[in-house]
Amino acid sequence: MGSVPTRRPRASRRLLWTLVAAGLIAAGCGGGDDDEAGSDGETTGATSDISEQGEPVAGGSITVGLEAETNNWLPGTGQFSNAGTSVAFAIYDPLMRRDANGEMQPYLAESIEPNADLTEWTLKLRPDITFHDDTPLNAQALKTIFDDYLKADGAVTAANLAEVEMVIVDDLTVTYQLSEPNSAFADELGLAIGWPFSPTAAAAAGDDAGSRPVGTGPFVFDSWERDNRLIVKKNPNYWQEGLPYLDEIVFRPIPDEDTRISSLETGDIDVLQTLRQSSGVRVRDLEGVDSYEQLGNITGVNIFNTTVPPLDDVRVREALARAVDQAQIIEIQGGTGVVPPSTQVFSEDDPYYSEAVADAWATYDPEAATELLDEYINDPARSDGKAAGEPVTFRYDCPPDPSLVDMAQLYQSFWGEIGAEVELRQVEQATHIDEAISGDYEAKCFRAGLDRDPLPTLEQAFSSTSGLNFTRFTDPAIDENLDALGTSTDIDERKALVEEISTIVNDGFPMTYHGSTLSVLGTQETVKGLAAWTFPEGAEGSGTSGATTMWGFVWTTG
Amino acid sequence: MRQLLIRLPMMVATLLVVSFLTFLLTTLLKGDPAVLILGPEGAQDPQAVAAVREDLRLDDPLPTRYVAWLGDAVSGDLGRSYRTGQSVTEAIGERLPVTLEIGVLAITIALAASIPLGTLSAFRAGGAADRVITGTSFGLLAVPSFMMAILLIWILAEWLGWLPATGWVRLTDDPVENLRTAIMPALALAIGECAVYTRLLRADMITTLQQDSITMARAKGIPTRRILFRHALRPSSFSLMTVVGLQVGAIIGGAVIVEQLFALPGIGRLLVDSILQRDLIMVQGVALVIAISFVVINFIVDLLYTVLDPRIRHGRAATA
Repeated sequence: MGSVPTRRPRASRRLLWTLVAAGLIAAGCGGGDDDEAGSDGETTGATSDISEQGEPVAGGSITVGLEAETNNWLPGTGQFSNAGTSVAFAIYDPLMRRDANGEMQPYLAESIEPNADLTEWTLKLRPDITFHDDTPLNAQALKTIFDDYLKADGAVTAANLAEVEMVIVDDLTVTYQLSEPNSAFADELGLAIGWPFSPTAAAAAGDDAGSRPVGTGPFVFDSWERDNRLIVKKNPNYWQEGLPYLDEIVFRPIPDEDTRISSLETGDIDVLQTLRQSSGVRVRDLEGVDSYEQLGNITGVNIFNTTVPPLDDVRVREALARAVDQAQIIEIQGGTGVVPPSTQVFSEDDPYYSEAVADAWATYDPEAATELLDEYINDPARSDGKAAGEPVTFRYDCPPDPSLVDMAQLYQSFWGEIGAEVELRQVEQATHIDEAISGDYEAKCFRAGLDRDPLPTLEQAFSSTSGLNFTRFTDPAIDENLDALGTSTDIDERKALVEEISTIVNDGFPMTYHGSTLSVLGTQETVKGLAAWTFPEGAEGSGTSGATTMWGFVWTTG
Repeated sequence: MRQLLIRLPMMVATLLVVSFLTFLLTTLLKGDPAVLILGPEGAQDPQAVAAVREDLRLDDPLPTRYVAWLGDAVSGDLGRSYRTGQSVTEAIGERLPVTLEIGVLAITIALAASIPLGTLSAFRAGGAADRVITGTSFGLLAVPSFMMAILLIWILAEWLGWLPATGWVRLTDDPVENLRTAIMPALALAIGECAVYTRLLRADMITTLQQDSITMARAKGIPTRRILFRHALRPSSFSLMTVVGLQVGAIIGGAVIVEQLFALPGIGRLLVDSILQRDLIMVQGVALVIAISFVVINFIVDLLYTVLDPRIRHGRAATA
């Protein structure tokens, strides 16, 4: 099948969003202030600087420096950020993955087909594939994983699958039965829900299953010392002939950006992963290092709680949007020349990016901003209950990352210039996310978007029934368009629906934008093939999206 | 033995207080501990909340819970992390050797350098050597451990290429590589400590060197080296010994940062990660172990006084 549709039950949205948000805020916000590439103020977007690749060679070992450790490697209990996903793609194969055109395609699965009303998705597995412990990958294995682990009490995936059932059709075929149409369901199977693991091994390991992962992937788990290293060895019986090339990969979590870059410079590691703009710039400048950059659909934003005065008034929100020069915000994060400004949650190279939405987005106009704010300030019926003429005040929260502190101060300055009094507050990430979920905030720096189908992205953020609608911004027209999006597989129709939702959102100013997120894999020039992975039938893969790759296709000449 | 009998009950009492305060970590926080542990997402599942409440015995009276928790802790069961699923005792057992090795190495390096430097500085008080050592000590005191770590990475890893910038190899896997990965973090912690110890020893030794017993030793023609290291060093070491004990806390504090910078799988990094991820059970376990370590080390330091000063051993107050 080609482009695959999806929609998931509403309960599924909340947790995933939180997990992704947690990972991104932890690792991906901002960057240093050592901007080296952007002195001319030009924004150039993601570029890749890759040496001659040559022909793959077998053998060798590489060490990969990751930005974070993962709590547990078992889908269902593991919380996989970009770093964890990168490791997972060595041990597990995803049932589905996104191709170079941004469409979901079968990878470990052989095919997936929805029924007419998109409430049943029938997935067929490839024959003769076994897990690393020789347990066969078949429909019964998928069913056991689904019922006993992914939907188990306490599983992080349980909420996602609460309204989904799995039925075995034959030895290699299962059907996912949904309670409502979901055009984006295949998208789910690219996430941890769709990374089959050996149910036999998991049952035998019991509570330690997350410490001894057994998948079907190109590498077999060897050992794990938390916060130090995870080692995987070549899977000699891998189902894709000729793969993998490497004999061994050592994954090392190195949370400090500077020391991770130093480790790449000194040769302690062969591959570096980062989602920081300033680190991406530094990697570009390293000699003997290849840089694979990708812009994802994740953008820095400010979220406004639209139920709390004075931010419940659209005039105030628009004033705050128009008061800010986004180029300066990007510059202070070290992103000038690296990331383009954002006007919506979809980046410029995404099929759902809309020029019309971009053109309509509020431009930097301090005079108009002042007028809008003054209109609110002098309104006798202003929502914050203050007397006309009194200044607008609100609190702006950010995690205590140095680059975010700089950014918050710049926002404070911009907003101060139009007459808003802003109190800055530093909040630890876990609290930051909790407050966003519970609505106990006024304004926050955050990230929006997912490298996924637009349906879960927009549904999570703006549906009136979403538990993760942090801004509390709702509109019946958004809900109608989301419902239509969930039942449509026509790409043009879906683009139109997404454009309409983005327009409504931007007209209501529940959030403002401050630049896309750049994901970067920096490698020694001896490491090859990171962007070369393909689907079993030969279709080109999505490269190094989210600073991940399919490790089976990577080789080293070192 | 007498000192041991006096101090042991005091240590046990201190440990009980420490354990109770650590236990209260989950109780004093605002809101339902079960909800805090699960986060707003997980807490939406009433069954999950009920399971955590039962697991932590949150519906029992506080004293009952404390006694049960203490009983488990004494038997080595500090619970299981809700975030990682790992046993807290196992996690601490994996991490503690790393931090201990770095800490012991740091204190060893600091003492090995500060004793001769402090002694020389006191012996040549006011001289050129003293001024150089004093000036350098003040300079190093002003450099925080994270800055020292970055400097060391830049010099020893990036510039000279002698040592790996990050990583950890266990002593049991490869002793040489273990030392290569341990030396830079230990140095980052030791250099600041060395400056403190040097200043302290210098001050005490200047006082000691002015005592009649030292004048007598000189009059007898005892060699200077013997006077300094046999007669003057021991009575000058009380403050140093006290501070070394107290600095264990500083070493753990420094380890929190240094382990993050050097990507070491130590107790400091475990603590920070657990705090940031609200892994309360893990925080509770780690805090308890750190507190106990601190109390026990200072208990040992107290006992060492009796070794250093026979007057304490014999129950008389030191007057020196």
